[in-house]
Amino acid sequence: MGTVADNYKDAASADAKIVVRDINWVFHLKRTRTEPARDFIALEDINLEVKKGEFLVLVGPSGCGKSTLLDILAGLAHPTSGAVYIDGKQVSGPALDRGIVLQGYALFPWRTVRQNVEFGLEIKKVPKGERKAISDRFIKLVGLDGFADRFPHELSGGMKQRVAIARALAYDPDILLMDEPFAAVDAQTRENLQDELLRIWEETKKTIVFVTHSIEEAAFLGDRVAVLTANPGTLREIVKIDLPRPRTNSDIRSSAEFGWVRHKIWELLQNHQPEVRGAIDSRPVADAISPSAEL
Amino acid sequence: MSTGTTQSPFFSWSRWLDRSSVLLFFIIWELLPKAGGLLETFIAPPSLVFKTLWETYQAGELLGHVGVSLGRAVSGFIAAALVAIPSGFILGGSFRTIERLVSPVLRFLGQLNPFSLFPLFIMFLGIGELSKGAMIFWVCIWPILFNTINGVKEIDPLLIKSARSMGTGIVTLFFKVILPAATPGIFHGLKMGSGTAFFMLIAAEMIGASRGLGWLVWNAQTNFQIPQLFAATVTISILGLALNGVFSLLEKALLGWRQNSHA
Ligand SMILES: Nc1ncnc2c1ncn2[C@@H]1O[C@H](COP(=O)(O)OP(=O)(O)OP(=O)(O)O)[C@@H](O)[C@H]1O
Ligand SMILES: [Mg+2]
Repeated sequence: MGTVADNYKDAASADAKIVVRDINWVFHLKRTRTEPARDFIALEDINLEVKKGEFLVLVGPSGCGKSTLLDILAGLAHPTSGAVYIDGKQVSGPALDRGIVLQGYALFPWRTVRQNVEFGLEIKKVPKGERKAISDRFIKLVGLDGFADRFPHELSGGMKQRVAIARALAYDPDILLMDEPFAAVDAQTRENLQDELLRIWEETKKTIVFVTHSIEEAAFLGDRVAVLTANPGTLREIVKIDLPRPRTNSDIRSSAEFGWVRHKIWELLQNHQPEVRGAIDSRPVADAISPSAEL
Repeated sequence: MSTGTTQSPFFSWSRWLDRSSVLLFFIIWELLPKAGGLLETFIAPPSLVFKTLWETYQAGELLGHVGVSLGRAVSGFIAAALVAIPSGFILGGSFRTIERLVSPVLRFLGQLNPFSLFPLFIMFLGIGELSKGAMIFWVCIWPILFNTINGVKEIDPLLIKSARSMGTGIVTLFFKVILPAATPGIFHGLKMGSGTAFFMLIAAEMIGASRGLGWLVWNAQTNFQIPQLFAATVTISILGLALNGVFSLLEKALLGWRQNSHA
């Protein structure tokens, strides 16, 4: 314990909101009687800092431990070794200062859209009238006004996803952990939600950790993009994204910088040695943009 | 619900069919005894049955028997639910290992035929209300227990995770997530239990009772009062239908959020 705390003090920068120190996550796989139990390392030696108000994106191949890492940040899972600090305090469990949008919608099927959005507010013991005002606002924000009294089974996948986002936003956590939140929506809605999320983020100064499989999305949203590799899940590199803010989909996507960042992340994911920046810059942007930007 | 609009034409069509088939049934039933012979001796036509029913009602006996039967069924049922639902939560939720250990025993007990146990109940508890209450309790407890265990076990862990991520405490988690998520299972168990309870009660009253609808059937049979026999049987069916109706209403109120609840 003591050493971990010391590690934290040594390494953390002053404006760090989330500090991840030496996280390991090991699954003990129990096979059949004949086969011996064996360990599966899902995450190995993850060290990461997220600054206050930063937008960090995690990308990596399927099964590299992105969701597991998010669970650990949320306090829903305890790492096999290592620790997570939020505002300098070690995380011991979930709390309302972090909101997580889980992979899969995880809506309560017996609650209407509004009641789902109000769940966290009920836990927070927000009075009823106020709850309604807040849920109204966030239901509207995700474009579901008119659907407030529907049950989850009456919604499309993308709509459910948006309810889950509204639910996490509604109780106003400092930190938003989002696990592929836009995976199930159409391209147009996705771009709208991305713009909307950036707007909310700039307005509320929340710290966001965002998991995605889309390189485009990562490059568009993030201040930095952390690229993970699989088997075992390790942090390969963090790509800093210097695109100007505020960003909107319409003017960022055609910029050369966007193309370069996209290509770099793509290469890291392909496990290639990343090219020197100058070499790419001299080529036309169109060449640098890989045709298979979506994983 | 929104599904209502697409289904209502089909519904009225099927309801019309239902009604006409019931009508047809009553006509055949009325005409059958007129064929004479054995049919006349053993089948009372509906006109006579409802006349007898009315007379029994007028004599002030019918409601008494109905009340006695319902009282037994309801008290046994409620007692079973009060034991089975909490046990189901404990076994299905917090003590999975114990559940795995005792499950075979429970399954075996659940398979024991209540009729063969009835003499035992009478031996231990006497011929009075207690033995019939015990019988109802016995037949109700198993479906409620097994369905509650399954309902709790099959709760989507993602829902629990999602609630926990919002800092939900254990008590709130139970009332706001575990209980509503397990309600379909519990409800299914209650519905099954109530059906068998009523069924078994009539049988138990036929074996050993001095009042109640089952006794009415048994009494009519021993005295060869065919119209009485039919009247009692019809009353039992009507009560059974009412029971189904009550559960359908409950289902709509409690489980209206489910996809298939209106089908
Ligand atoms: N309960 C478990 N038992 C054993 N292994 C598990 C368990 N849950 C996850 N894993 C393994 O841990 C690894 C990381 O899983 P995780 O869900 O974090 O991946 P991911 O990066 O989120 O993948 P995806 O992009 O497909 O969502 C995977 O290889 C998975 O097989
Ligand atoms: Mg995942």
